[in-house]
Amino acid sequence: MSASEQSLVQPFDFAAEVLHTKQRGLWAQAWQRLLHNRLAVVSGVILLVILAVSVLAEIIPAVQLHDPAVPDFALIEQNPSWEHPLGTDGLGRDLYARMTQATLFSLKIGIGTQLVILLIGVTIGMSAALAGRVSDTVLMWITDLAFAFPDLLAIILLRQVLFGRDWPIIGTGDPQIPGFPSSLLVTIMAISFVGWTTVARLVRGQMLSIKEQDYITAARAIGASPWRIVRVHMLPNTLSAVIVAATFGIPLAIFAEATLGFIGLGVPPPDASLGSLINSGLDSIQTHSIQLVWPTMMVALLMLCFTFLGDGLRDALDPRTRK
Amino acid sequence: MLAYAIRRVLAIIPLIFAIATITFFLMHSVEGGPFDADKPLSPATKANLERRYGLDDPLPVQYVTYLKNLARLDFGISFANNRDISDIIKERMRVSVQLGIAAFLFATIFGLSLGVISSLNQNGLGDYVGVFVATAGAAMPSIVLAPLLTIAFAVELGWFKVLSTDYGFTGWFQGDFSNWKQVVLPTIGLGFLPMAFIARITRASMLEVLRQDYIRTARAKGLREFGVVMRHAAKNALIPVLTVLGPIFAGLITGSLVIERMFAIPGLGGEFVRSVIIRDYGLIMGVTVFFAVVIAVMNLIVDLLYGIADPRIRY
Repeated sequence: MSASEQSLVQPFDFAAEVLHTKQRGLWAQAWQRLLHNRLAVVSGVILLVILAVSVLAEIIPAVQLHDPAVPDFALIEQNPSWEHPLGTDGLGRDLYARMTQATLFSLKIGIGTQLVILLIGVTIGMSAALAGRVSDTVLMWITDLAFAFPDLLAIILLRQVLFGRDWPIIGTGDPQIPGFPSSLLVTIMAISFVGWTTVARLVRGQMLSIKEQDYITAARAIGASPWRIVRVHMLPNTLSAVIVAATFGIPLAIFAEATLGFIGLGVPPPDASLGSLINSGLDSIQTHSIQLVWPTMMVALLMLCFTFLGDGLRDALDPRTRK
Repeated sequence: MLAYAIRRVLAIIPLIFAIATITFFLMHSVEGGPFDADKPLSPATKANLERRYGLDDPLPVQYVTYLKNLARLDFGISFANNRDISDIIKERMRVSVQLGIAAFLFATIFGLSLGVISSLNQNGLGDYVGVFVATAGAAMPSIVLAPLLTIAFAVELGWFKVLSTDYGFTGWFQGDFSNWKQVVLPTIGLGFLPMAFIARITRASMLEVLRQDYIRTARAKGLREFGVVMRHAAKNALIPVLTVLGPIFAGLITGSLVIERMFAIPGLGGEFVRSVIIRDYGLIMGVTVFFAVVIAVMNLIVDLLYGIADPRIRY
C-alpha cells in the first residue's frame, strides 16, 4: 500500500483499526477457510501422499521395489504378497510398480492439461472480453464451434493426428522435456485442445463484468495504463474462478486419459497408464480380477479427491457461495 | 417462438458445415492412408484402389466432392467392407440408442427420486444417503463402475454373464425384452454418473423452491403435503434439471465407448475407434457429423422445451 493511499484512510482511523486487525489478505483468508473444510484437507493430504509416492518411485528405484517393465514368467498373476504388495500381472510384472508409474502418468495428464487449458482459455477469454467487438464475435464463434464438437471423438482424432510425428515441441522418441515423453505430451495436447472452452467462457464472462466495476473506472481515472489495469486488477480477480475450474478439470482429464488408454490409444507398452492397466486387467477379469480392481479404484480415488478439493477451493475462494 | 425455433434450426447448418470441414482436414492429416497395411500392397494395386475411392484427387477436390455428397445426405462407402456408411451408422446406432435410452431412463428416474427424497429430509437419514450416493457417483464414471460391477455381480456372485455375444440390445424396438439380464450392468455402469449429477441438481433446486413463499401459502391453505411437493414444488424445481437432461442424453448416446468395449456391445462408438485406427475416412466423417447433429438437435430441443416449461422465458 503506497503512502498516498494510506493517507486516504487516515480520517477514518477508528474504522481502519478495526478492519486491519482482521484483515489478512485474500489468499491468506482463503487458505484459512480451506483448512476448516475437513473433506478438502483430507483429500489434499491423500493427493499429496499419492503424488509423493509416485514421484519418488520414478526417481528412486528402491521406492518402486521392482522394475515395472521387467516380466517374470515364473510369477504370473500372483495375488498380493510381501514381495509383490499388489500382486503381479499376466506377464509376471509387479503391479505396485506399474501402478506407481501409471498413477504418476495420470497426475501429469491431469495437471498438464489444466496448465495448457489455462494458457489457451485465459488468452482467448481475455482477448474476447477486451479486444473489441469483432474479436469477441470471432473468438466466441470459435469457442462455440469447439464446444459443439463431440468431445471424445475429437480427442481421439486429435490424438491420432498428433501421434508419431515430429512436432516443434512434442517431437518423437526422446523426451524433449524431462519426464514428459512424447506419448504423454500428445495426450495432454489432444485433451486440452478440446477442453479449453469452459475456461475461455468463464474468463470472458468474469472480465466483462469486472470491466464495468467502479474500481476499474477509478483506476482508469487516476491514469493507470490498460496493461496495468489488466495485470493488477482484472487477472487477479478472475484467478479464483479459474483455479476452481482447473481443479474440477483435473478429474475430467484423468477420465479422458483412462478412456483413451482403455480403447488402446494410451501409452505404448511396456509403459503403463491407468487406462491401459484397466484395459489389460479386463483380459484376466475371470481369473485374476484384483488386477482390474487397483487401477479402477485409483481412478475413482483421484477423481473423488480432486472433486472434494475443488468444492473446498470454491467455498474458500468465493465466500458468497457458502451456505 | 416459431421464428426462434426456425432460426435455431437454420443455425445448425453452418455449424455442421464447419465441423465437417475441420474433421475432414484433421482426418487427412493423420499419418498414413487407409491402404497402408502391415503387408504393403503393390504400388499398382494401391494406385488402383486410391483411384477407385477418389483418393488420387488433390485434397481440395476431395473436400468439395465430399461436401456435395454430404449435402445430398450421402455419406459414401466404407473402405473396410464396401458397405454404405449410412447403413453402418443406422445398424450400429440402433444398439447405441437402446443402450442410451436405458441408461437415460435409469439416470433420470433414480436421479430425480433421490434428489426429491433428499430435499424433503434435509439433513435427515434419507438426505445423508442421497448426498453420499450423489457425491460418490461423481467419481464413478463408466470406466470405474463397469469393471467393479462386473467383478462383483458377474464374476463373484454369478448373477449375470461376464461376456457374451448375447448383448441384449437387439430386439427392443421389436418389443423383445427376453434378454434383459444382459442389459442391467451396462445400463447402471453408463447411467450412474449422470444419475448422481441429476440427483445433486434436483436436491439443490428443490431446497431453493421449498423455501419460497408460494410453498408456505400452499401449505397454509391446507393442501396435502403430497400435492404441495408434487404440484407446487417439484414442477418448478424441475426447470433447471431440464436444461441438463439434453446434454446428458446426447452424452449417453454418443459417449458409450467404454461400455461398448467392456461388454462387447456393437455400438457406434467402437465403430468410430476402429475407423480412426484404420483411417476409414468416410466412416470417421460420417460418425462425427452424425454425432454433431445429434448433440446440436438435443440442445435445440432442450432450449425449446425450456421455453414451454417456463412461461417467463420469452424468445
